[in-house]
Amino acid sequence: MLRTVVFPMMTFLLGQTLMAQEIIFERKAPVSQVYKEAVEAEDALPMNDLNIEFGYVLYQTEINIDTESKELELENVRDYAVVYVDGKLQGTLTDQDKTLIIQVDPGNHTLQFYVENIGRITYGPEITDNSKGLFGNVTLDGNNIQNWKMVPLNVRNYPIKDLVFEQNPGTDTPGFYQGQFDFNHPQNMYLNMTGWGMGEVWLNQRYLGSYWEEEKQQSILIPSENLVTGKNELVIFELKNNKQKKISLSPTPIFK
Amino acid sequence: MIINKTSILALPKQNLKKIITMTLVFSSLRTKIFNKRMKAHKKSNHKMDEYKVSIYKYAKMLCLLGLFVQATLLRAQDVIDLSGAWGFQTDVMDFRRGSLSPRYNHVLQETIKLPGITDDYQIGYKNPYKYIDRLTRKYEYMGPAWYQRDIEIPADWKGKKIFLYFERTHWLSSIYVDTKEVSSIDYVSVPHNHDLTAFVKAGKTHRITVCIDNRFQYNTHKWNHAHTEFTQINWNGILGEMKLMAIDPVYLEDLQVYPNITDHSIKVKLQVNNVTKKQVKGKVSFAIAGTNYSLKNEIALVSTDSITYVETNIPLGKQIKLWDEFNPNLYRISCQLNTSDGKNSYRNEKSTTFGMREVKQGKNHVLLNNRPIHLRGNVENAVFPKTGHAPLDDASWERIMVLMKEYGMNHLRFHSWCPPAAAFRMADKHGIYFEVEMPMWGKDAEPDEARYNFFRREIKAILKEYGNHPSFILYCNGNEITGNFDFIEELTAEGRKADPRHLYSGSTARTRVKSDQYYVSQQTNKGPVKVYEGLPGTDWDKNMESDVDVPVISHESGQRCIYPNFDEIKKYANSPVEARNFEVFKDLLQKNGMLDQANDFFRASGALTVLEYKAVIEGLLRSGKSAGFQLLSMNDFPGQGYAPVGIFDPFWDSKGLVTAEKFREFCAPTVALLRYDKSSYFNTETFKGKAEVYNFSNSALENAKIKWWLTDTAGRVLQKGSLKKQTIANEHVSPVGEFEIPLKNISSQKVTVHLAVNDKIKNSWDIWVYPKHQNLMQSTDKVLYTDIYDAAAKKQLAQGKTVVFYPSPASVKGRKSMFHNHFWNPIMFAWAPMTIGNLVHHEQAMFKDFLTSSHTDWQWWDILNNAKVIEMQHAPQKLRPFIQVIDSYDNNQKLGIGFEAKVNGGKLLLLALDTKTDMDKRPATQQLLYSIDKYVNSDKFSPQVPLDETFIQSFLTK
Repeated sequence: MLRTVVFPMMTFLLGQTLMAQEIIFERKAPVSQVYKEAVEAEDALPMNDLNIEFGYVLYQTEINIDTESKELELENVRDYAVVYVDGKLQGTLTDQDKTLIIQVDPGNHTLQFYVENIGRITYGPEITDNSKGLFGNVTLDGNNIQNWKMVPLNVRNYPIKDLVFEQNPGTDTPGFYQGQFDFNHPQNMYLNMTGWGMGEVWLNQRYLGSYWEEEKQQSILIPSENLVTGKNELVIFELKNNKQKKISLSPTPIFK
Repeated sequence: MIINKTSILALPKQNLKKIITMTLVFSSLRTKIFNKRMKAHKKSNHKMDEYKVSIYKYAKMLCLLGLFVQATLLRAQDVIDLSGAWGFQTDVMDFRRGSLSPRYNHVLQETIKLPGITDDYQIGYKNPYKYIDRLTRKYEYMGPAWYQRDIEIPADWKGKKIFLYFERTHWLSSIYVDTKEVSSIDYVSVPHNHDLTAFVKAGKTHRITVCIDNRFQYNTHKWNHAHTEFTQINWNGILGEMKLMAIDPVYLEDLQVYPNITDHSIKVKLQVNNVTKKQVKGKVSFAIAGTNYSLKNEIALVSTDSITYVETNIPLGKQIKLWDEFNPNLYRISCQLNTSDGKNSYRNEKSTTFGMREVKQGKNHVLLNNRPIHLRGNVENAVFPKTGHAPLDDASWERIMVLMKEYGMNHLRFHSWCPPAAAFRMADKHGIYFEVEMPMWGKDAEPDEARYNFFRREIKAILKEYGNHPSFILYCNGNEITGNFDFIEELTAEGRKADPRHLYSGSTARTRVKSDQYYVSQQTNKGPVKVYEGLPGTDWDKNMESDVDVPVISHESGQRCIYPNFDEIKKYANSPVEARNFEVFKDLLQKNGMLDQANDFFRASGALTVLEYKAVIEGLLRSGKSAGFQLLSMNDFPGQGYAPVGIFDPFWDSKGLVTAEKFREFCAPTVALLRYDKSSYFNTETFKGKAEVYNFSNSALENAKIKWWLTDTAGRVLQKGSLKKQTIANEHVSPVGEFEIPLKNISSQKVTVHLAVNDKIKNSWDIWVYPKHQNLMQSTDKVLYTDIYDAAAKKQLAQGKTVVFYPSPASVKGRKSMFHNHFWNPIMFAWAPMTIGNLVHHEQAMFKDFLTSSHTDWQWWDILNNAKVIEMQHAPQKLRPFIQVIDSYDNNQKLGIGFEAKVNGGKLLLLALDTKTDMDKRPATQQLLYSIDKYVNSDKFSPQVPLDETFIQSFLTK
């Protein structure tokens, strides 16, 4: 009974807002702009050895493939890795799911893991080993992969104003996406991240928050005081390319 | 799990679970009058005053009538107190699994006194071990244990409902009447109330055998504080009230009171059970009483079935007072049920305490009575080593609530457990806001239907048992849960639906769910909201990170480790647990030649924790958009590696590190706050302070006078001033003005900035002021300054001269030096710094021109963060570093940053400190180097302990 009263009103409200507030992201800054100094080593080093408390590190190496399909297996990944071969997304890995079939043509390829460390764990059997990142053996069909280049990514503290965006670069690798929208009625809004993979968001060059598609919570609050009347700029760092080009605002929080 | 066979056997099938809702008729003249008055009131608002008077007169009249009714009361409910001696036997074999002679077939041969636990009588496995990661339980028992008593059921209990009630047990209690198992209950958080009606006969003596099984009944996390060996132990026994009760067969099964503060009324929900199989008629009489308040009311009741739900609204009048932390006004409602089936009459009474308060979800805060509150809380982990179990008595809990108030707190989060009723009673009385949880942690939400069903029952039981307590404002399922969050959402949504008197949250510090009404976490999707440590500057907060769709409470902030106080060992003489780990730590310290320093280590690290907690709490109070914080913790946590992070020991006795009065300066309903950039200054600089007032008291501060002043170490006022007189709102953190203090004429190295509001609210911050030094570390013929131990240095020493050796941190092996003491404890978290602060030998002459106490304070920030810790265990025992680093207590090696010694006939002073980087931004480091310069050039510099050169080589990288 309540629904019949409320529903049309909600549709009206949402319709108004969403139609007006769909934001298109057409410009992208590649993640290479926030590379920090690389460390090279025979084996993949945990982030602890790279002095990274939390955040992102790119683990990169060259592989030679003789068949079309190969099983990639990690000994440890904490907490989340997105796998690319030659800049094409292959899938994601976590400590609960550490194998992935990669399908590429035989030959030499660049293998990249973009790894996120969400912080230290505080309980459970693993607490005595608080290593983070990618470490232990990384194998391709059982053969150990070596000669790693580890590049910390300065995502969280990079001055957004210094990023150089390109129009529709068409690349799949992680990067910063930029979009703009007009806003005329300052009020609290929620950024609906549904469909995006994992990453972080800035509004008008000010840090807004983070998101992950695996979470039930799919929205980030934009406090009214952070919105300006007129043109507002959103920048999204997306680790896993879900090929999203749009985003919308919602007056209420979004949960899966 | 209630496998209550009574409900199946005793009730006729057609009555089972058939429920009707009664239509209520106001039957008494008095109620009708009352109703009429309410209607008149609605018609005419300007008759409010008249109405108020009428209510008051009316209440007085009811009070008189009440006395009359009470005088004619029927006999009291029948209760047999079951405390005292019981037969007892352990059962490590678990005989029920297959033996022909399970324990309940026999007269148990031993005795035990109840209420109590097996540990009280040294029953169980005599523990030969010394646990390092927790206190050691002296006698461990985990398994079924049997308790037995022959009880004569009074003849006049014929026709009554008979219940066997235990206030708290662990975890499964099964009842055998003579040799038959009749009931078993496995709630952890609420009393076990076994219905024995169908199995006992009035006038007969029955052998009642109780099996208490404290094995984990479900695969839940072993750390849950409801039954972890880490804090309270996983005890076996029966605690609190234990009794056999007879009640009339038409009785009040449940009484819930829902305050409505808008119209000054309560909604009363009753569940009336009728096992007579007959229709009964009668009335429910309500008596509500509080300080200077009394009211009576009654309603008619007709019950035609086994269960009748009754719901009624009782207007209480405007003189009813609200409950909150400042004015914890309590009322008691007694419900007397009088019914008759025409032949027999039945009487039953139930009562509960309640407070007039409503809890709502605000934008950033919890709203209590529609006003934002700010939670200043402690994480309550069931740490009760004196008894091995959470206390069941009011006095023990009152002590904790009073301590909370004395230290400016208003909140306790019961981490993965729910306390017994006494805790709620005392929180109701003293105005402490509770968050309670189920025994749920970690992977407990991973799919397991039996475990899920346990949680589904447990949440309902908690809400029913404790829901009336006004102190119960927040409910969370458990701690840091992982697994299936659809299940977490299910529980959270069910809770919200079942009882709107509390706010609900799915899990602390993990995945958010849709039904969350608040969120306790280390971080939100906007960044970290926990604060583990302070900074030398205070111009920061957690506002931006706390501003999400629900109120956010900072999770487990604090956690700064203090060196154990070995004097506590003797406190465990009569406890079920003892600090054998402390004995191991102590022996190790003795073996390493530093036992005489144990108390110094405790004091120095304790002082550091206190100043960290001041900085942590102030940072969280500057965060006006946060709903509050939960400190981990005011008292020590004796498990998970043993975490002595408290200013209280595990017995809730003060460690003597900070007084309540001093603590309240930075943790109270109203606190003066100051934002500034840094703690150490050159005397050419100007101190800039931005004053704020955190005011979550119950009133604004009208025309507040705000003063600041600066004192030196002798307490002399060096400068002072006032900020604009102003009214400071409550429920906010308000900027109240800025001031500047030029530091050019300050000669005292340490000065204190004070801030006071109305001369009552006071707070202060130490800052350090140093001259700029040029020409430090100038080598002369007598004194050589060097950062490498080379031939020149050796030659200088061989000539009997002085070498001051400042190796760069990179050239020294060993641990990184850090200002902070270790997080939580170094046994559980083997990460940097693995040290527990520093002991400064401040009376020695090298500190003559560098003001410091025996512990490190904020002036040490840039020194310690640019230093390296030298492993010195293999140096001569007599050699004590002048800056001594306190090692992790399970390692207890001698560590230092600086020491002096006689080497090769010369005099060496060594300090593993970066003396080159950004020196123009490090006033304290400059001053320390200056003090050492003066020292090594004076005749005071005369190292006593000879040191072999090989030791120096041992800690330098090649």
